[in-house]
Amino acid sequence: MNGVKLSRGDAVVWLLTATLLMSLYMMFWQADGHGAEAVVLVNGKRWARLDLFQNQDLDVPGPLGHSHIQVRDGQVRFVNSPCPNQLCVHTGWLSQGGEVAICLPNRVSLQILGSDPRFDAINF
Amino acid sequence: MTRTLQTTRDDYLIAGFAALAITIHIAESALPSPLPGIKPGLANVVTLVVLCRYGWRMAAWVSLLRVLVGSILIGTFLSPTFFLSAAGALASVAMLGLLFALSRALPGWAVGPMGYGVAAALAHMSGQFWVAYAVFVPHSGLLTLYPLLMTLATVLGIVSGLLTHTILARLNSAPSNGNPV
Repeated sequence: MNGVKLSRGDAVVWLLTATLLMSLYMMFWQADGHGAEAVVLVNGKRWARLDLFQNQDLDVPGPLGHSHIQVRDGQVRFVNSPCPNQLCVHTGWLSQGGEVAICLPNRVSLQILGSDPRFDAINF
Repeated sequence: MTRTLQTTRDDYLIAGFAALAITIHIAESALPSPLPGIKPGLANVVTLVVLCRYGWRMAAWVSLLRVLVGSILIGTFLSPTFFLSAAGALASVAMLGLLFALSRALPGWAVGPMGYGVAAALAHMSGQFWVAYAVFVPHSGLLTLYPLLMTLATVLGIVSGLLTHTILARLNSAPSNGNPV
């Protein structure tokens, strides 16, 4: 192995390789199915479409009262809802494409839109 | 009827180097591999040595003969393994051809074994990866593996470049007996 010398051409090839590898990692490892938008459905009808990177708070009217939905930095959750078991609240923050939180008593549901949903279908 | 086939010195060299590459290829196929498609690529060192000493045309012959005959001897001819291997070999031969032509055109920027080794390994990996993705496992989950595989290919390419460099140095310093083999 004595006297391995990189020629100028080799250096160019290695430089291109390093650039290629970095861009590959950026392309294939950063987009991890993180959703950018969510929809709110009331009674099965679209009530709002949310940009997850625009922080906001919404009061969504349902049959029982208002469900409070919060958007913060790419995530969204039910803060509170006028339902007895609070399943929607306990679902917590959603951020991955395809994730859902549903408040069945108040007929409000929340779903992240994504090109690459984490689940194909969910059964309860 | 007897027909005489005109053979040239290059034909014998190609046959000899291909035989060497096939032997290494088969020995390598006996090594366990953590992932399909990951191999040290030692047989490719023969291709690189031939490329640096005799040019691209002979290296292409050696590489493609190795894949063809190697697969027949191992028993994977026309199996998925064979197509992956052939796609990789074609891609790396094409890549080496490009770099070889560029090196001819711009001698000041000529690529050496270290550059050839890395470029060939990356092209080989890409060729077989995209065939695997397009034909065998068209699932986007496979793409997550691609950067990792390419990183591995780079490391293996550097190793094969180093080996090629060492072999070339030994060959060039060996006393010549008039026979280039």
